[in-house]
Amino acid sequence: MAEAKGLSKDDLQSISNRILELSEADHCRVRINSGWRGYTRVATNRITSAGGSEKTSVNITSVFGQRVASVETNRLSDDELRQAVRRSEDMARIAPVDPEYIEELGPQIIAPINAYYDSTGELTPQTRAVAAALAIKQAQSADQVVASYMDVNAGSTALATSNGFYGSHAHTGVAYTLTSRSPDGRQSGWAGDEANDWNNIESQRVANDAVRKCRNWRKTALEPGEYTAILEPTAVGMLMRNMVNVFNQRTADEGRSFFSKPDGGNRIGESLFDDKINIFSDPAYLDAETSPFNSVGQPLAKQDWVNSGRLQELARSRYWAQQKNQQPLASPSNLIMAGGDDSLEEMIASTRRGVLITRFWYIRGINPKTISYTGLTRDGTFLIENGRISRPVTNFRFNQSLVDMLRNVQMLSPAVRVAASESSSVSTPIVVPAIKVDKFNLSSVSDAI
Amino acid sequence: MALRPLPIPVNHRPSVSNLGSPIHDSRQFSRRNFIKLAGAGAAAGTVVSAAPAAAQSMTSSERALLLLAIDVARDAGAHYSDGRVIRTQFEAVGARELRVSRVQSTDSFGINIRVLVGGSWGFSATQVLTREAVTKMARDAVAIATANNAVAPSTAVLAPVDVYPNASWVTPHSIDPFTVSFEDKAALLLKANEEALRGSNVRYAASNILCVKEERLVATSEGSFIDQTFYRINPSMNITAISDDGNDFQTRGAVVEPAGRGYEYILGLDLVGNAPKWAEEAALKLEAPSVEPGKWDLILHPSNLWLTIHESIGHPTELDRALGYEANYAGTSFLHPPEETLGQTRVGPDFMQFVGNRTEFGGCATTGWDDEGVPAEEWPIIEDGIFVDYQTTRDQAEWISAQTGITRSHGCAYGQNWESMPFQRMPNVSLMPGKEDISEEDVIAATDHGIFIEGRGSYSIDQQRYNIQFAGQVFWEIKNGKKHRMLRDAAYVGRTPEFWNSLDVIGGDSTYFLGASFSDAKGQPIQVNAVSHGCPVSLFRDIDIINTA
Repeated sequence: MAEAKGLSKDDLQSISNRILELSEADHCRVRINSGWRGYTRVATNRITSAGGSEKTSVNITSVFGQRVASVETNRLSDDELRQAVRRSEDMARIAPVDPEYIEELGPQIIAPINAYYDSTGELTPQTRAVAAALAIKQAQSADQVVASYMDVNAGSTALATSNGFYGSHAHTGVAYTLTSRSPDGRQSGWAGDEANDWNNIESQRVANDAVRKCRNWRKTALEPGEYTAILEPTAVGMLMRNMVNVFNQRTADEGRSFFSKPDGGNRIGESLFDDKINIFSDPAYLDAETSPFNSVGQPLAKQDWVNSGRLQELARSRYWAQQKNQQPLASPSNLIMAGGDDSLEEMIASTRRGVLITRFWYIRGINPKTISYTGLTRDGTFLIENGRISRPVTNFRFNQSLVDMLRNVQMLSPAVRVAASESSSVSTPIVVPAIKVDKFNLSSVSDAI
Repeated sequence: MALRPLPIPVNHRPSVSNLGSPIHDSRQFSRRNFIKLAGAGAAAGTVVSAAPAAAQSMTSSERALLLLAIDVARDAGAHYSDGRVIRTQFEAVGARELRVSRVQSTDSFGINIRVLVGGSWGFSATQVLTREAVTKMARDAVAIATANNAVAPSTAVLAPVDVYPNASWVTPHSIDPFTVSFEDKAALLLKANEEALRGSNVRYAASNILCVKEERLVATSEGSFIDQTFYRINPSMNITAISDDGNDFQTRGAVVEPAGRGYEYILGLDLVGNAPKWAEEAALKLEAPSVEPGKWDLILHPSNLWLTIHESIGHPTELDRALGYEANYAGTSFLHPPEETLGQTRVGPDFMQFVGNRTEFGGCATTGWDDEGVPAEEWPIIEDGIFVDYQTTRDQAEWISAQTGITRSHGCAYGQNWESMPFQRMPNVSLMPGKEDISEEDVIAATDHGIFIEGRGSYSIDQQRYNIQFAGQVFWEIKNGKKHRMLRDAAYVGRTPEFWNSLDVIGGDSTYFLGASFSDAKGQPIQVNAVSHGCPVSLFRDIDIINTA
């Protein structure tokens, strides 16, 4: 077996120890990120770029009293580390007092999580090129032109504090996404997969799905308006990933969130969504595993955020928890929306008139009080009539409150991991179902393909 | 208005510092730069000069490693290679209300090489600056290119470029932001927040200063060796007011713009002096009536219009995007195919001129040379309202040379750091001011039923750049040629060609300034690019406004 990518456990520990030894501050926190990224891009049925790089960076936070500063460097010789420690201390000494600083965490009980898959860590440029060639062949045989991206990450992280916290974690991730277009640019289809384990990336299916979507989609007119919408899992994931930061108690308590109570405080415990909605995070969730601790050492465990439509909890920083006399609660490191038993086919069959959406693009917040977003559909939008896909239709801009969406959900498929970031880079693991939702607001037509 | 003209140091001649450099320089001196520099000369006498010698940031051992990488790549079978040693330093100071929320510095240093085997690229990078690691890096890049060339070969052909064996360039600046202490930066932000918090109903104020120093040594196997140092600076401030009953909040953000300049730029912004005005605007938004949706005339201040330009003119004129190279993420373009659009497609009225440039003073994308050793220049993108040229790199120039008659690159190659392979990135793309000296007041006076928008708000556009929905920070209702009252919850929507063809009046030179972003995203892996867009105050007729409440 090849050596794992990123620094070894021993190296992580020895660099952390070295920095803590060098530290002369009241408190010190060390975070090390070490890893490799390899990638291959295809466009116009050719590999247009491919590369790889390894990087280890060390982040040192020094604290005097409540004066805090941090320095990050990738220069790792003994001398350079010493300079970085001194620099962070020099900066901290002159930094104004941060009244929200809370002393570093000591040892925590952290259950290790295995998120490193050798299948991903050992993926070679040749394997990536073969997957690319497969997709190119598939597209060419359908007289299409493919653009694709395979992003592969493997590495390790460590966190150490002068109060005795130490944790390390190794992880891998791979995202494979593909857009296939007709040579005249008038048709387009997309498919993608994301996983920690390369064995769960179905590159042949991704190619087939994108080519099939492209073959079936071309724009035909449809009036904008409120439609019953069936959102494929990727479309759901691209919206729901925004919820990671919305589950925050401070912004709620401060009156800046949908979760704020009109007269102050927050809405934990209130039923806010349809009772089919269950949202949780779990660093040990299979093939969506994450680190079991966050960037300051707070342990992460399975946590319900929404249970049968009821807001269960909101994340609290250590400072905010102290202010409110509560226990701190780390923000989610992944997001899982529990699925149901319905299949996509059943959703379509049950729909008299609606729109099927593959994915979105350029999603931007418009109103945090209603968790509203705008954005556009892309790469496969279809009209459903009388239980069947009747024809492909134009793309749309949507203006939609996620609160309304989560109140209007009618059906849910089983949940799957999706490539939810717009750039299709490996990112926060998102596991969501396809959903059928009433009154989805497709506010205007987009001429884009 | 939000920004006022700043003194420009007399020694700062953007794009001049390399005029005396070797062999050939085809660039023209920008008209706007010339006017601005000439006008500012008198006021700039007291500014301390920056030493051009600072350009020699890299040591001889780093230069030697770059030459080694190119030699190893050649021996391993690359017929072209270019490499970079890049050191990027960030410094961030942030304040939230009356406390300091961050004091951070990052430093990232490494070397990369990009090689051509057949027509296929390979790229590799390392942070280990030893002969052994750099040799392995160069061989890895050739191995990747060879693997690609065997399986799915590409057809890159490089446009000619002059060789610059010993060139250097430094962002014009008078105060290196990295010489200003964290204490001083924090004190400025805390004072600005304090002033903002005096405003009625203002409960939150957050401000930041992010400074970037990028040292970049580029070498090509053709013999160029270019050493450059870039400074960019990004100040920001957000002020939030909460209604008396606690049920509503409104934020005034995006109050100032990033720039490719030194710390003197921050001092000139007068954050402390302007904070009360921005705070008042946040509070006014609480009381403002929600906009009535429908057709309105729109007056867009440069602090709003620059991002509209970025999204609807900047992106669709990226050539790789137009040809499908970014189809899997950033998207394609409505300006395609080149042979049916170049010199033919009308994008706006005949007084509308857009230029691409990497030469404009203060621009975030301003440079001496690009990442392929191509000198910075200025060129027309939209001329008299007609689309005439794209943004290009060396391997793209020939794709459209039959239409444009231009065989050389426009110098748009950039990789965000040592880990990143350079590719086509946006230059400064700017809307030229009108020939007449039309002021902001003149434009307002010419409007009966309109909305004047300042500051960028929520922005979204489709991947071919047709369907726009852009908001702002501050909306003033204009009634019969006068500012009537503040409105809220507005966004303008439309289709790009119709939007630009509704442009009716553009302001003169006095209304022109640069807005900018540090985070223009493109590519897979995603890379960010800092870019500026200049424009005058502009009036658009009969635009659809929606209510976003």
